[in-house]
Amino acid sequence: MKTVTINPVTRLEGHGKISIFLNDEGNVENAYFQVPELRGFEKFCEGRPVEEMPDITSRICGVCPEAHHIASTKALDQVFHVEPPPAAKKLRELLYSAFFIADHITHFYILAGPDFVMGPSAPKAERNILGVIGKVGLEVGSSVIKHRSDALDVIAMIGGKRIHPSCGVPGGVSKPITEDERARIESIAKSEVEFAKFTMKLFDDIVLKNKDYVNLITSDNYATETYCMGTVDEQSHVNFYDGKIRVVDPEGHEFAKFPAADYQQYISEHVEPWTYLKFPYLKKIGWKGLVGGKDSGVYKATPLARLNVSEGMATPTAQAEYKRLYETLGQKPVHSTLATHWARLVELVYASERLVQLSQDPDITNPNVRNIPTQTPDEGVGAVEAPRGTLFHHYKTDAKGMVTNVNLIVATTNNHAAISMSIKQAAEGFIKKGEVSDGILNMVEMAFRAYDPCYACATHTLPGQMPLDIKIYNRNRAILHNIRRP
Amino acid sequence: MRPGLSHTTILLVGLGNPIMGDDAVGIHVVRMLKDRNSGRADLEFKELSLGGLGLVEEILGYERVFIIDSVASTGTVGKICELSPEHFKGTEYASSPHSTNFATALELFKRFENSAVPHTIRIFTIDITPEFTFREALSPPVQRAAFELAELVGNEIEQIRN
Repeated sequence: MKTVTINPVTRLEGHGKISIFLNDEGNVENAYFQVPELRGFEKFCEGRPVEEMPDITSRICGVCPEAHHIASTKALDQVFHVEPPPAAKKLRELLYSAFFIADHITHFYILAGPDFVMGPSAPKAERNILGVIGKVGLEVGSSVIKHRSDALDVIAMIGGKRIHPSCGVPGGVSKPITEDERARIESIAKSEVEFAKFTMKLFDDIVLKNKDYVNLITSDNYATETYCMGTVDEQSHVNFYDGKIRVVDPEGHEFAKFPAADYQQYISEHVEPWTYLKFPYLKKIGWKGLVGGKDSGVYKATPLARLNVSEGMATPTAQAEYKRLYETLGQKPVHSTLATHWARLVELVYASERLVQLSQDPDITNPNVRNIPTQTPDEGVGAVEAPRGTLFHHYKTDAKGMVTNVNLIVATTNNHAAISMSIKQAAEGFIKKGEVSDGILNMVEMAFRAYDPCYACATHTLPGQMPLDIKIYNRNRAILHNIRRP
Repeated sequence: MRPGLSHTTILLVGLGNPIMGDDAVGIHVVRMLKDRNSGRADLEFKELSLGGLGLVEEILGYERVFIIDSVASTGTVGKICELSPEHFKGTEYASSPHSTNFATALELFKRFENSAVPHTIRIFTIDITPEFTFREALSPPVQRAAFELAELVGNEIEQIRN
């Protein structure tokens, strides 16, 4: 048996390792995605004052601290049994929409874009953001930087900082916004809508008008049929900030719809000895291993899953793009892993339009942004849709508000089983007779990159280089080939 | 307006995760320097927990930038090194986790806004042992190195003024 190891995985926050086992014919026998890190945040938080949680948990990650901050703040609302004023909820959602914009722009142009703009098999020296900018032009690159940065400015206006916001408090937010700030946000939001539309057109021109790419997106090598999970509002439209968790089966029929606080009735976590990351699954179906279909409890919670569980988008242009996605691909739900990139852009349009709506809401500058908690703290669950999937924060405290128990199910954990299955499918489809090129390995990486996985344990990297090691072993585990990207 | 388009001439950036012990040594050094240099109008101090595009955006517009960070490279805990952006040459085309890396981001901004990129970027590092214990204090050897580096960078700043 030969083993192909991709270690560490590139363009992934934290560390990951893909091991692909080949049989004697050189075809894929099995594939595993391992996370060889132990984080320990849940244990570390025990004994801390629960009101510290939004600031502590936002340090889990330098990429999506806003998601942890807002989920944690929502959990505090429940812990203290306090309902935030309407303006506070809107400000939280406004910050959150800006966060989605910055995150989805970054993913499309910097992480996913190189595979499509430069081509999945392009030399790695070209398959990066500098290559993308070289091809689409400096003006587009400048616009990417500007719109990402403007979205971070909105976060700073509400959250105090462009990263690691600190505005979330039980019962609301720490401060209102002024009319000047509102006007600035509205101006930014309108520009973000135009940029989102431009990005969608770019996707059309580069990806959808390229028959080879469309074939790649719809190929069996990238089709992972599982249950889907996401948050929807009362009209069953996609909602990032609040609503009920909806689950549909692989054929699109509703399987469950529940408030986040009931998540333990629907989700369990399976443990494997070879990875620190757990495998959540649907409790009522059960864990049947890394297999898809209706009889397996594996689900995915991604931008595409969010669209699959919803009946549409709550804003006009996003709704039109939603319809176009399903009409073009000819079915709903869609299980093509690479269509997740398209779904992410539909969400970028929605987040931008929602930012406009919220910035124009007459209540958004209302100074009443907090209800002071008066109840004894005990237990709470907060959930949001992180850009890469559903995120749960669950806290229990003693009567003094000191944390006694924490459970976090982060977005990438929700997708762990589906990611592993997608990697195996891609590997099986592309690696034949032991032929493993750099381009083929990148096409395997594309399967998990679509999930935008995040295994962060530190909040910064300065050099940021994450080399790719590819090791091919024979059945005795002697190295036959060792390819290393610088 | 991006945060760096600016004001003062010298920026001191401490990088790190403030609740991951020695990882935050850069932040500790910058705090020491801030204490020793209060009132100097030509200096600005930032504590940051980010990299790549976000980091480069924060340093735009300053003439000289000192970045202080922890690394795990030599195996000698407490060892102080100085790097420059030149040391990251060759990583511009490497993939990076969830964002673009420092060298790539710097190269991007040189193409977009070269005039805003600092003409001097000096990077000081202190070697640590990566850990997964959460605390706000430094270990004794890294604390000693932090004092030493604060002295060193402080002298460099003095020389610029003179």
